[in-house]
Amino acid sequence: MEDTLFKILDYGVYGTAVLVILIGLYGALVKRSLLKIVIGLSIIDSGINLLLVAIGYLKGGTAPIFSPGYLDNPKIMVDPIPQALVLTAIVIGFGVTAVALALVIRLYRHHGTLHIDEIRNLKW
Amino acid sequence: METIFLIFILFLGGAIVTWMAGKLGNIVQDILFLATILVPSYLFYTNVATGYAIDFNVGGIELSWGINAFGWLFSLIVLGLGAFAAFYAVSFMKGKERRGAFYLNFILSIMAMLGILMSQDLISFFIFWEIMTWSSYIMVVYNGNDVQRIGIKYFVFSAIGAYAMLMAIVLIKSMTGSFMIESLISSYTSFSYDMQILIPVLLLTGFGVKAAIMPLHVWAPGAYSNAPMAYTSIFSGSLSKMGIYGMVIVFTTMLSYVPEGVWFRGVVAWLGGFTAVFGTLWAIKQDDAKKLLAYSSVAQLGYIIVGVAIGTPLAMMAGLFLAVMHAIFKGTLFMVVGAIERQTGTSNFTEVTGLIRKMPWTFVAALMSIIALAGIPPLGGFVGKWMLYESLITSDHYLLVIVIFFSSTAAFLYCYKFLFGFFLGQEEEEWAHVKEAPALMVVPMVILAGLTFLLGTYPGIILKPIANGMQTLGYGMTQGQLWDTSIILNEWGNQVVLQPILYAILGIFVFFVIFVTIKGYKNTRYVTTKDISSSGEVPLAHENLTFSQGFFQPFLRAVEPAMRRQIDKYYTAIANGLESLFDFTRRIYTGNGQTYAIFVIVFVVILLIFKNSIFG
Amino acid sequence: MVGTPVLFVAIPLLAAFLIPLFGMIWKESVRVIPGIVLAYLLVLAINLMNYVMVNGPIVEVIAGWAPPLGINLVFSAFSGFLVTLMVFLGLIVWMYSYRFKRNVDFEPAKKYFLLLMMLITGSVGMVLTGDIFNLFVFIEITSISAYALTAFYTGRDSAEASFKYLMLGSLASAFLLIAIMIIYSQLGTLNMADIGSKMHLMKPAYKIMAIIFLFTALGIEAEIFPLNGWAPDAYAEAPGPVGAAFAGIVVKAAIYASIRIIYTLFDLSGAYDLLIVIGMITLIVAETAAIRQEKLKRMLAYSSIGQMGLVMVAFGMGTEEGVFAALFLMFNHAIIKSLLFLSGSYLVYNSKDKLIKEVNGIGKFLPITSFLFVLGSFAIVGLPPFAGFWSKLSVLTAAADSNMLLIIALVLIVSIIEVVYYMRVVNRIYFFKKDESVSTQRPTLNALIAMITLGAIVLIVGFYPDAVTGFLHRASADLMDKAGYINDVLTLN
Repeated sequence: MEDTLFKILDYGVYGTAVLVILIGLYGALVKRSLLKIVIGLSIIDSGINLLLVAIGYLKGGTAPIFSPGYLDNPKIMVDPIPQALVLTAIVIGFGVTAVALALVIRLYRHHGTLHIDEIRNLKW
Repeated sequence: METIFLIFILFLGGAIVTWMAGKLGNIVQDILFLATILVPSYLFYTNVATGYAIDFNVGGIELSWGINAFGWLFSLIVLGLGAFAAFYAVSFMKGKERRGAFYLNFILSIMAMLGILMSQDLISFFIFWEIMTWSSYIMVVYNGNDVQRIGIKYFVFSAIGAYAMLMAIVLIKSMTGSFMIESLISSYTSFSYDMQILIPVLLLTGFGVKAAIMPLHVWAPGAYSNAPMAYTSIFSGSLSKMGIYGMVIVFTTMLSYVPEGVWFRGVVAWLGGFTAVFGTLWAIKQDDAKKLLAYSSVAQLGYIIVGVAIGTPLAMMAGLFLAVMHAIFKGTLFMVVGAIERQTGTSNFTEVTGLIRKMPWTFVAALMSIIALAGIPPLGGFVGKWMLYESLITSDHYLLVIVIFFSSTAAFLYCYKFLFGFFLGQEEEEWAHVKEAPALMVVPMVILAGLTFLLGTYPGIILKPIANGMQTLGYGMTQGQLWDTSIILNEWGNQVVLQPILYAILGIFVFFVIFVTIKGYKNTRYVTTKDISSSGEVPLAHENLTFSQGFFQPFLRAVEPAMRRQIDKYYTAIANGLESLFDFTRRIYTGNGQTYAIFVIVFVVILLIFKNSIFG
Repeated sequence: MVGTPVLFVAIPLLAAFLIPLFGMIWKESVRVIPGIVLAYLLVLAINLMNYVMVNGPIVEVIAGWAPPLGINLVFSAFSGFLVTLMVFLGLIVWMYSYRFKRNVDFEPAKKYFLLLMMLITGSVGMVLTGDIFNLFVFIEITSISAYALTAFYTGRDSAEASFKYLMLGSLASAFLLIAIMIIYSQLGTLNMADIGSKMHLMKPAYKIMAIIFLFTALGIEAEIFPLNGWAPDAYAEAPGPVGAAFAGIVVKAAIYASIRIIYTLFDLSGAYDLLIVIGMITLIVAETAAIRQEKLKRMLAYSSIGQMGLVMVAFGMGTEEGVFAALFLMFNHAIIKSLLFLSGSYLVYNSKDKLIKEVNGIGKFLPITSFLFVLGSFAIVGLPPFAGFWSKLSVLTAAADSNMLLIIALVLIVSIIEVVYYMRVVNRIYFFKKDESVSTQRPTLNALIAMITLGAIVLIVGFYPDAVTGFLHRASADLMDKAGYINDVLTLN
C-alpha cells in the first residue's frame, strides 16, 4: 500500500490534487463557520476534479478532436471521458454549493450566527 | 369448501363484522358476537374429525391444519369455557365503551387458541400464537390503567417467549428442511447434542411465559387483574393452558427420546413447585380479589406444570385433569369477581363485605369453585390433586410432594379470605342497595360451578378424552391400564371410589348447615362493622374495620423472609438500567453536522487501516 | 412491450420542467401533472414487469452507442421490481400531499411537486442505470432535490437538518467520484457490466480502495451507521410525505446501488461480512436510540435506520435466500414505514414539536388514521398476520440456513426493543387521556385514500404473501446471476 501511495505522490499533479483535497477536508472538518465549511466542501470538489483530469492526461497528447493530421492516430489524444466527467462534476458541484449557500443564509436568519456548534437544535 | 377453512373464515369475518356493527345497535352486536363464537364451535365439534388434516401452501411454506385427540381435549377448554365466557361478556360489557374492540379481540383470542390446537406445522402455530398474544395484550391495556408498565411488561415477556420460540422454529427449519411438527419429532433424535439441548430450552421458554412459570411469571398478576374480568376468565382459564399444551408436546414427543430429558423434567417440575409455593404466598397477601386470583392462577399453573413435567402416565393424567378443572373453576371465580365489581364498583375485600344475602347465586358459584380450587372432596379439584400426590409419591418425588402439599395447604388461607371477605362478615350500609348480577352473568357461573361437581363425581367424562389424547402423545396404555394407575378411580375410570363415603359426609354437612341456619335464622341480628364498642372507644367513621383488613398478619410475618426478594424488582432494575444505557447510546448523534462528517472520515480511515483483515 | 425504460427517467424530468410553465396557464396543473405522470409510469412499470418476467431483462441503449461505450439502462426483474415499488410509492406520496399543509397555496405546491418529480427521476435513474458515472449523476439529482425538500418548511429547524444532509452528501459525492476515478483509471471503462467482467484484472489494492470509497459514499445515502447522522434530522424535519418518500424511495435506491456494486461489480467476499457487521451495528444502535426518543418522527426515523441495517444484514448473507429476505424486507419497509410516516404526520399535525406525548388519546378523534398507524406498528414489529412477519421470518430462516445463530439471537433481542417503543405509542394513542390543548386535524380525503391503500397492502401481503413472493424470488435470482447480467448488457449490438 505504502509504495503505491508514494507512486501516486510521485506524480506532481496527483500530489497537488490530493493536497487540495486534504485542504478542503481540513476546512470542512475543522473550521467552525458554516461559510468556511461550504468553501471547504467546494475545495474538495475542485481537488477531485483536478485528479480526474489528471488521469486522462497523456504526455504530449493533443485535444481529442479528429483534426487534420491526427485523423488516424487516436492513441496520442488525451482521454476525453474524464474531461466529460469533470464538466458534469463541476456543474453538479456548482449546484450543490448554491443550495448550501442558500441554506447558510436561512440558517443565519434563523439562528443569527454561523457558528456550527450553536446550530444544534436537532440532536439525540 | 373445507370445514376447517370455513371455521376460521367465520371467526375472522365474524370478528370484523361484530367490531364494525357498533352503529347498528348494541343488541345486533351482541347477537353477532355470540353467533361468531357459537357457530364455528358447533361446526368444529360436528364436522371436524380427529386425525384429519389438510395441507396447503402460503408464500412457499407448507402449512397443515387439523386436529388430533390431544388438541381436541384442549379445544374443550377453549371453546367450552369460551362459550360460557361469551354469554357472560355480553352482560358484563353492557354500557361500557369500546365494546367493538372488546368483542373483536375476544373472538380473535378464541380463534387463535383454536388455531394453535389445529396447527400441525410450526409456522401456523407461531402465527396463531402471536395473534393470541396481541389480542390478549389489547385486552390487558383495555382499561387504560397503568398500561405503560403492566401492558408493556406483558408484551415484553410475551415477545421474549415468542421470539425464543421463533428462533427454535427457524433452527428446526434449517435442520429438517420443513416446518412440520411431525418432521421435528421424527428427526429430533438425530440432531446434534447442542441442538437437542437448545431447541427444548427455547421452546420451553416460549411456552413457560404463557404458562407463567417462575421466573417468567412476573407479567401474570398485573395482566390478569388489569384485563376486563369477562376476558380474564378465558385469559387465565384457557390462554395460559396453551403454554401447558406446548409443554406437554415438548416433554412427551422430544424429551422422552433423549437421556437429557430427565434433567429437563426435574428442573421444570421444581420450577413448577416453586411457582406453586410463591404464587400461593403472594396470593395470601393480596387485598384485591383480582390480584389474589391472579396469583392463585400462577400457583395453580405450577401444580399443572409439576404434573406434566413429571410425565408418568398418572402424573400426566393428573396434570391434564387439573388443567381442565382449573379452566372451569378459575374461569368461574374471575366471573364472580367481575360480577361483584360490576354490582359494587370495587373488588377490594377490605371494602366489600356481607354480600351473601345480596348475591346468593354468585355466592353459590364462588363457594363451589373455591371448594374445587382448594381440592376438598367431593368436587373436581380433589380428584386432580389426589392423582397428583399419588403420582409424585409413586414416582419417588417425595420432596416435591412436601412442597406441593405446603402450597396446597396454604391455599386454604386465600380461599377462605376470598369467600369470607366478599360474602360473609358484617353487612355494611354502603352495600345495602347491591342486587344480584343479571341472569346472563349468573347462569354461566352457576353452570360452570355445577360442572366442578359433576366432574368430581364422574371424572370419567373428562378422563376419557384425556386418555385418548395421551394415547396420541405416545403413552402406550389402554384406558383400563390408565385407570389402574390410581387408587382413587374405579375400574371403569368414570367414578371416584370414595364416592359413597363422600356423599355420606356431604349429607351430614348439608343437614348440619340447614339445621344451623333454620335454628339460628330467627334470632339473627345483622350488624355493621361500626356496630361495636371496645373498652368504651367508639370507632370513627373513616376507620376501616372490615374483617378482611390485615388478614393473616402472623402467617405473613412468618413467611416474610421468603417473600422479601421479589424477582419483579430485579427485572425492573434491569429494564431501567438498559433504558439509561440506551439514553447514553443515542448521544452518539450529537446534533453537530461536523461531528457526523468526522464520523464518516473516521469510518473510511478505519476501513482503510483494517482493509487487509476485512477484505483479505 | 409498450414502452422503454428510458421513459422512467425522461418523463418525470420533463414533467419537472413543465410544471412551472403549465402553472402559469392553469394553477391546478402543478398538482395534476405529477399525478398523471406517476400513474402513467406505474402502468408502464407493471407492463414492463410482466414483459420482463416472461422474456428476461430489457437493456436499453441511449444515443445509439452500444455498451460498453454508451450508457445503458437495465430493466431486469430486480431493478424493475424496485422501480415499480418506487413509482407506486411516488404515486401514494403525490396523492397524500395533493393538498397537504402548505401545498394548498400555489407557490409552495409548484416547488414541492417540481422537487418531488426530480427526486423520483433521480431515484429511479439510480436503479435503472448501467453506468457508474450515470449513477453518480442520478445520486446528485436525488440528493439536491432531497436537500431542498428537507428544507421545505421555513420557520422550523429544517434548514439545519438540510445542511447536515448536504455536508454528508457532499462528502459522499466526493468519495463516489474518487472511487469512479480509481475504477476508470484501472479498467478504462464506466459500464457496470464491463467493470464486473473485468474486475479480476484490477490490482487488489486499488480494488479495495475503490470498494471502500464506494461503500462509504453509498452508505451515507443508505443511512448506515456511523454515516447516518443526517438521517434522523432530515426525516424529522422534512414534511411528512417527504419522510415517506425518503424511507420508501431514496434510501431504497441507495441500497440498490450499494448492493449492485457489491454483488455485480466486485468479487470481494469480505464485503459480505462487512455488510453483516455494519448492518448489525446499525440495527442495534438505531433501535436503542429509538426507544428513548421524545419526537414521533424522530423515532420513526431511527426505526427506519434500524430496518435498513437489517436489510444490510440480509444482503450480507450472500445466499439467494438472504437476498430474497432482504428484498422482502425492503418491500415491506417501503410500504409500512410510508404508512407510518403518512399517518403519523396527521397524528401530530398541528403540533410544533411533534412530541410523542401529544398523541395521547387521539384514537377517539382520528379513528381511521390512528387505526392505520397501529396497523403499521403491528406490521413493522413483525406481528403476524401482517406483512412484516413474513419478511422477518424469511430473514431469520435465511440466517439459520447460513448457521448464523448469533445474528438470529441479536435480531430477535433488538426486535423486543422495537416492540417496546412501538407499543408505547400504541398505548398512548388509545389508552391515554387526551390533552385538551392538543388540536387535531382530520385527514383530507386524498390523504385518507393514500393511507388506506397502504394499509390494505399490509393486510393483503400479510394474509397472502404469495402476492409478492413470486416477483421477489425472480428478483433475487436475477441479482445472484452476475454472469447473466454481464452477458445481457455486453452482447447487445
